[in-house]
Amino acid sequence: MSNTRCWRVNLDHFALLGLGALSSLANAGPADRSIALTIYNGDLALVQDRRDIEVKEGRQRLEFQDVSAQIRPETVTLTAADLSIVEQNFDFDLLTPAKLMEKAVGQDVTIVRVNPATGAETSVQAQVLAANGGVVLKIGQRIEVLRDDGLPARVIFDKVPDNLRARPTLSVTVLGKHAGTRQATLSYLTPGLGWKADYVASFDEGSGKIDVQGWVTLTNSSGTSYENASTLLVAGSPDEAGGDAGQGSYRPLRHSTLETPGTEAGSRERLGDFYLYPLAERTTIADAQTKQVSFLDVHGIPAEHGYEFRNHWLAASDTAASAHSVYSFSSGAQAGLGDQLPAGVVRFYMHDKHGDPQFIGESRIDATPMGSTLSLSTGDAFDVKVKPILVKRTRLSTFDWQTDMSYELSNALPRDVVVNVVQDGLWGDTRITGTSLKSVRRSADTAQWAVPVPANGTATLTASFETRY
Amino acid sequence: MLLACACGAPGSPGHADDAAPAPEPGAAEVAAEPPADVAVTVYRSPARARGSIDLNHLDGFALVTEKRRVRLPAGVSRLRFDGVADGIEAQSAIISGLPAVIIEKNRDEKVLSPAALLAATVGKSVQLIRTLGKSGMTERIPGKVLSDAGGGVLFSTADGVEALRCSGLPETFGFEPAGMPAAHASLSVLVRSPAALDVDVTLSYLSRGFDWAAAYTATLSADEREMDLGAWITLANSNGTSFAAAHTQVVAGRVAHEGAVVPVEWSGPLVALCWPRGSTSDVPPLELRIAAAASPGTRTATLMAPRMQFVTVTAQRKVTEEQLGDLKLYRVPERTTVSGRQSKQVRLLDRAAVPVTLVYRATLDRREAGGSFAARRVLRTVNDAAHHLGLPLPSGGLAVFASQHGERLLLHESGMRDLAINEAVEIELGLAPDVQVALMHDDLDASAAAAQLPPRAAPREQSERVEISNARTAPVRIELSLSDDGSEVSRADHPWSRQNGRPTFRVTVPAGKSAVILYRLRYGATARAESVVR
Repeated sequence: MSNTRCWRVNLDHFALLGLGALSSLANAGPADRSIALTIYNGDLALVQDRRDIEVKEGRQRLEFQDVSAQIRPETVTLTAADLSIVEQNFDFDLLTPAKLMEKAVGQDVTIVRVNPATGAETSVQAQVLAANGGVVLKIGQRIEVLRDDGLPARVIFDKVPDNLRARPTLSVTVLGKHAGTRQATLSYLTPGLGWKADYVASFDEGSGKIDVQGWVTLTNSSGTSYENASTLLVAGSPDEAGGDAGQGSYRPLRHSTLETPGTEAGSRERLGDFYLYPLAERTTIADAQTKQVSFLDVHGIPAEHGYEFRNHWLAASDTAASAHSVYSFSSGAQAGLGDQLPAGVVRFYMHDKHGDPQFIGESRIDATPMGSTLSLSTGDAFDVKVKPILVKRTRLSTFDWQTDMSYELSNALPRDVVVNVVQDGLWGDTRITGTSLKSVRRSADTAQWAVPVPANGTATLTASFETRY
Repeated sequence: MLLACACGAPGSPGHADDAAPAPEPGAAEVAAEPPADVAVTVYRSPARARGSIDLNHLDGFALVTEKRRVRLPAGVSRLRFDGVADGIEAQSAIISGLPAVIIEKNRDEKVLSPAALLAATVGKSVQLIRTLGKSGMTERIPGKVLSDAGGGVLFSTADGVEALRCSGLPETFGFEPAGMPAAHASLSVLVRSPAALDVDVTLSYLSRGFDWAAAYTATLSADEREMDLGAWITLANSNGTSFAAAHTQVVAGRVAHEGAVVPVEWSGPLVALCWPRGSTSDVPPLELRIAAAASPGTRTATLMAPRMQFVTVTAQRKVTEEQLGDLKLYRVPERTTVSGRQSKQVRLLDRAAVPVTLVYRATLDRREAGGSFAARRVLRTVNDAAHHLGLPLPSGGLAVFASQHGERLLLHESGMRDLAINEAVEIELGLAPDVQVALMHDDLDASAAAAQLPPRAAPREQSERVEISNARTAPVRIELSLSDDGSEVSRADHPWSRQNGRPTFRVTVPAGKSAVILYRLRYGATARAESVVR
């Protein structure tokens, strides 16, 4: 696909129609152009468009047509030597037949009538009186409604009004010190360009190791293609610096992915708190394109596979629910991925009995520092289930309650497993007064038990909680 | 063991400078051969825990793996893969077996349509083709497209500026075949190879527009003590793409998958809107009337829900099951063609004479006291060898049939969730209007001692009376569970036990008779002596 709208300081069809009382024409081929893109995580990009333009002396208007269709015009800056900017305009009054007719009110147009029997054409001059609901014309001394009889009649306009455009157009009125070609840089922010990471994790059950490939995926919905652009990806979003962890978007099967945050610095270049991922080669980012470039390829990282079941406070069920299948590994330099991980999706694959790789689930991760331990849930385990039972709620005194819970675990796998049962909702001064297995208080809100369940067997965990409210 | 290699070539900081290589202009265009071998693994919709698929909304997905022959020249080439599924999630594409450096992978969603063609022509020369009235003669006038904004089209000729198809004459454009997008969305990789290559590569990707579920049929014996259980796997593909002679698998278990972000294609259908075209015969005149010029033949096809054209029922060979991590993988025994817009069934299992227990069940909820309601019927069994089962049962729809004078009758339809081996199985049979449960209760009465305590702390008791009437010709076993409302059973005239933590009465009601259960509930009793009485 080629970029059909090449850079032009003015559109030549406007020139052809003889507009541009103000505008100065200057042309430069795309060969002189150099685009640099800085793309952030959260659907935002900084476009720096450098090129040679020809400028006359004095006041003139420069039009920029092939900028992003979603340009944020308030962020535009044009810099060039010996050029001062008078004003910047963003015209979004679009050139449509209805608009053209509206602007022609009070003006003359040519009406060409076609005789349906003979095909003979007759031209008359007409003044447009109104274009409200229908078009009212004044032809000579008569008033007519355009095509009221349904017969064919062409309307020919002499020209297109100045500020109607096929596309929203950025124009800059400048004052040139002297005529000549000079290098100008137009920079602006635009949504519609964004990126994230996609990871392919291949888990080997026998050795307990994973191979991980990381790809940078950038998508362009901005409505414009960027030819031969030098591209820099920034892991982070200036809008909401610090990642998107606090956003309230619905994420099914989500659990916290970061077990222990890392403290290793690594060698990646940074910009403030953001990591930078420059693409090694210039590339064309076409409109409506998804592009992927590799940034990580590591093999044989030790990984652990386990199970987790999270129960909400006082939740009980008549049927057993599957535990989550969890894979954990490190992003550290020692026995880990050895890199910072930009936010994205990790897809897990595993070989089936025929040796073919099969997809076993995915997990979204937030931007992860190097040296972290990640624990990612890929979905439900078919054979490992937990049934939480609310055995009894006893009122100890006016404000104190004792809650007896029992968790029935079952394992239909032919091997022993350990299930991490997590009970949340323990905020306040909830205490565990009795339990069949030692618990770990992971946070003020949650307690965790590592419950062994034998192969093809069951296990029961009981716990009593004392709450006060 | 750590073999890290950052392929993104961290290189120079910031933007690559102007001297950075520009690999594209010289790239040779190469198309990979059509797949020689295809495997399709279908996953269920992660949002559905039970029940069957909806052919009009297939929310599951599939992993498609294709083996393709690739012949590349030395140097940089753009390798294109044609004929991938329409629903491909480009982010998930993996290419393996290619001994060349993959510079980048691209997925272009921009496709050729009348609107895209026109958008590509704005500012360029076209031929205006106009057919004149009676004679049918066409004239071709050179011109230029000025705008396609807002659904209207303006062009200029030597005469001046005109709007397309507003004159009442048949008008269209003849385009020049340059700068057109491709007919289909394409997947391509930019590769650099030191030498010419002739290799088999494997392309795998996830694709939307697939789903599968099990479809169970249970046939209850006349004495309601046994059932025959059979099941099909129903898998469906709503993509336009067919996968011929594919190794086909389905995976059971809930797999986390969110789907992909696809760039938005902004160009809509092509409509030639005009200026207001109200006439004097329009009564009453509408203020905001916009005559949308119906332009036959130029609208792009609307995206209708895909219609499934064929349902294929394959031979009675069953799928084979294997463990895949924490999931179950079912392999269709023979290669099969997974056609576009098709649903297909393969046999999952057949089990005869599974012992079942028919139980009536009701929940006693104090808030629903006052009237009578019908009990529910359930069939109970266990998924183990003793009950002629003992195999993983993937979720799906379930239809229960019974025989009546040699005719099969549908009793009830419900859904089944994923059931592991040794798990208890409960099959819903719906309401039983012949077995009615009526719950009546007295008002809460506070004891004299408790009246001294603040209202929150005062223990209260309540008498409950449950009457179960059986209008059937056979005795029924019924289980009555108390809803969990923080109360305790202080006294009862029937024995009770806890089931899933809730007090449950189990009684048998003779044919044509009623049974009554009396019990008392205590609310708000404290186990410890109150230390502070306010």
